[in-house]
Amino acid sequence: MPMATAAGHRCYELWDPMPDEVREGARRFATVQALNELVGVLPFAEWLDRAPSHTRRQMLMAKIQDEVGHGHVAARVAEDLGMPRERILLDYLEGRAKVHNIFHYSFGTWEELGPGLLLMNSAAIVQFQSLMKGVYLPYARALRKIEREESFHYQHALDLTHEVLTHGDAEQRRRVQEGFELWMPRVLAYLGPPDTDTLHANRMWQIGLKPDGNDALRQAWLNKIIPVFRKLGVHVDPALVRQAASGEWEFAMPDWAEVKKVIAGGGPASQRRLDWVRHALDRNTRYRRALREVS
Amino acid sequence: MPHVPNDPDVYEVFTQNGVGKTLSHVGSIVSPRPDGAWHLAKETYGRRDDLATLWVVRRADMIVSTGDDRDLLAAKTRMPHRQPGFPTARRRDRSDSSPAADSPLVAGSPALADSPAVDSSAEPRDGALSELRDDASRAADPELRDLWLALADDLFVLGNRLGERIVDYIDLEESLAVGSIGQETLAHAGTILSLCGFDEAAADAWFFDRPQARWRVSRAIERLTDWPSTVACGLVIAAAVVALAERTAETGPGRTGQAAEAGSGGAWLPAIIAIRDEQRVHLDHWRRWARALTAWPETSEEFARAYAEVTERAGDLFGAGPQGVTAGVLPSAPVPAATLHERLAALVGDSGGPASRLPGRPLTRTAGMGGSALAYCLSRGRMVRDDYAPGVFR
Repeated sequence: MPMATAAGHRCYELWDPMPDEVREGARRFATVQALNELVGVLPFAEWLDRAPSHTRRQMLMAKIQDEVGHGHVAARVAEDLGMPRERILLDYLEGRAKVHNIFHYSFGTWEELGPGLLLMNSAAIVQFQSLMKGVYLPYARALRKIEREESFHYQHALDLTHEVLTHGDAEQRRRVQEGFELWMPRVLAYLGPPDTDTLHANRMWQIGLKPDGNDALRQAWLNKIIPVFRKLGVHVDPALVRQAASGEWEFAMPDWAEVKKVIAGGGPASQRRLDWVRHALDRNTRYRRALREVS
Repeated sequence: MPHVPNDPDVYEVFTQNGVGKTLSHVGSIVSPRPDGAWHLAKETYGRRDDLATLWVVRRADMIVSTGDDRDLLAAKTRMPHRQPGFPTARRRDRSDSSPAADSPLVAGSPALADSPAVDSSAEPRDGALSELRDDASRAADPELRDLWLALADDLFVLGNRLGERIVDYIDLEESLAVGSIGQETLAHAGTILSLCGFDEAAADAWFFDRPQARWRVSRAIERLTDWPSTVACGLVIAAAVVALAERTAETGPGRTGQAAEAGSGGAWLPAIIAIRDEQRVHLDHWRRWARALTAWPETSEEFARAYAEVTERAGDLFGAGPQGVTAGVLPSAPVPAATLHERLAALVGDSGGPASRLPGRPLTRTAGMGGSALAYCLSRGRMVRDDYAPGVFR
C-alpha cells in the first residue's frame, strides 16, 4: 500500500494502486525529460570534435554519454508507465511533443559554450532537486542518479569557463561575457512563466508531482549561480539581473510570446534539431532492426 | 566475466523498511516453489520489521559479478575524468604549477620536435624506409613501442568517431555502449602515449598539431565512415590491440633490459592489462554487431562489403616502422609482426561475420594515410585550438 510522506502526500511505487492523474502525470514528466535529454544533448554534441585537448574531449564525451544516459533512465520510467520509448522521438518529429526553449539554439563559439552550459546545468540541478521530492518514487530515484552526474557537468562547465577566462586573450574573454548575457535570459525563461499566484491551483502541485513553483526555483537558482559568475569575473549587468534590498532577485522579464514561438519551432536551431533526429533515425533503421531481430 | 548461478531452488531476499529507503539484500532461502519462496522469505526476514517492500528473486535468474570483474567495475580508477572532482583538481593543479596565469606562453606546450619524447632526427628517414620495404615481413621485427604508438593513432581517430555516434540513436543502449567504448578507446590512446614518455602537453601536440602527413594510421581508417564500416573498423582495431596487449603482457617485467630497471615493470604492466581487458569487451561488442548485420537480410550485403574493404586495408595494423620516439617505460623489445598478424587473423576470423580479406602477411604502415576520414577529424580538432595561444588548453 502507498504510504504518506512528510509533505503530506502519498508516495507511489510502480505497482502501487495510484490515481490515474498521478500515473499520467508521472508518465508525462518522465517522457518530457527523456525527450529533452535526448534532443538537449545535441547543441553541445556538435562541439565534441572541436574540443581542443585530449582531456577536454574525454570530459565532453563523458557528459554527452551522461545526458543520453539520463534520457535512457527517464525513458525507462516512462516505459514502465505505458509510454513506448520509440514514441518519444517520434512524437517530437511529428510535432506532438516540444523541447524546452534553450534547446532551440546553437552555441556560436567555444567561448559561449562554458557560460551557456554553466547556466543550463545549474538551472537543471535546481529543478531536479525539486522534482525528486515528487510522489512517484521510481522517477525520484532516477532523478537522484541523474543529479549525481549533473554535479560533474556543473564542475566541467565551470572548468571550461575558467580556462578561457584565465588563459584566453581579451577578445576570447569578451566572448565569455557575451555568452553569459546571451544565455541568461534564455535560461531565465527555461524555468517557466511566473506562477506564484497560480501554483496552488496547478494540479501537478496539488497531487505532489511538482513540489515547487517556477518563481521559487528561479530565485533559488539565481541565489546559487550569480555569485559563481561574479567570482569567475563575469560582469552581471543590473539591467539583466539585480538583487533587491529584500534579497529577492529581479530580472528583465522574458518575452513570453517570443519564448512560446521559439518552443513551437521558431528558434534559430529548431529545424536543425528536428533534421538531425530525423536523419539519425532514418539512416539507422535497418541496423536497429538487425540488432533487435537477430540478437 | 559475470556468471549466472545455477541453483534452481535458491532465492535471494531483498527488503525495504520504509518508503524511500534503500532496498537491501538480507539473505537467501530454499524453496521448491516460487509462491512458497515468497511466504518463507516473509516469515524468515519479515518477522520483526514492517516491510514496505519484499522482493524475492530466484538466484538462477540473477547475473552476478565475480571477483574477476572488480577491475572492470572500478569506475573511479578506470574513468577518473567522469568524477566531479576531476576538473576541479585539474584547475587547482594548474594554478599551482603556473603562477603567471596571464601569460599562458609560460606554461606553453613544447613544440613537437622539442619534446623529450620525440627524436625528430628520425623523421626524415620515414619516406626512405617505406620505399625500401613493400611489406613488413621482409624487414626486421618491429619494436613493441612503435607498434603501440601506431595503434594509438588508430585508437584516437576511432574513439572520436564513436563519440560522435553517441547521438546517432541506433538505440539508447547502443548510444551508451559507443559512449563507453569511445571514452575507453580515447583513454587507451592517451595511456599509450604516456607509457611512451609523453606528458599531457606533448600528447596533445601529438594528437592535435601533427600534420596528417606525419600520422601513421592504418589504412582501415580511410573506411571509418558509415555504421557498418565503423563496426568493421572497431572490430579489427580492438582485435589488434588485444593481440598486441596479450603479447606485451607475455613479455613481462624483468624479461628485457629496460623493464628490469627498478619500478618500470610495475608502471606499464597493469596499464597494458587494463587495456587488454577493456578491448576484449569491445571486441565482443563488435562481434555481436558483425553477427547481427551478417544474419539480417537487409544489412548482410552492405556489411559484407564494408567488412571486406576494412579487412583488406587492415593488413598494416602491425606494419609500423620506427616512429622516432625513444622515451617511456614500455619495454624496448622487438616483436615478430608475423606472429601478431596471425593472432589478429584468428581473432578477426572468429567474428562469426562475413569472410575476412585480411592479407596473409603484415603490410607496411605508411605515413599520411587515413584519407578524408582522418583529414576531417584533424581539421575539426584544430578549429578552436588554432585560435588560441599555445598552451592554453589542457
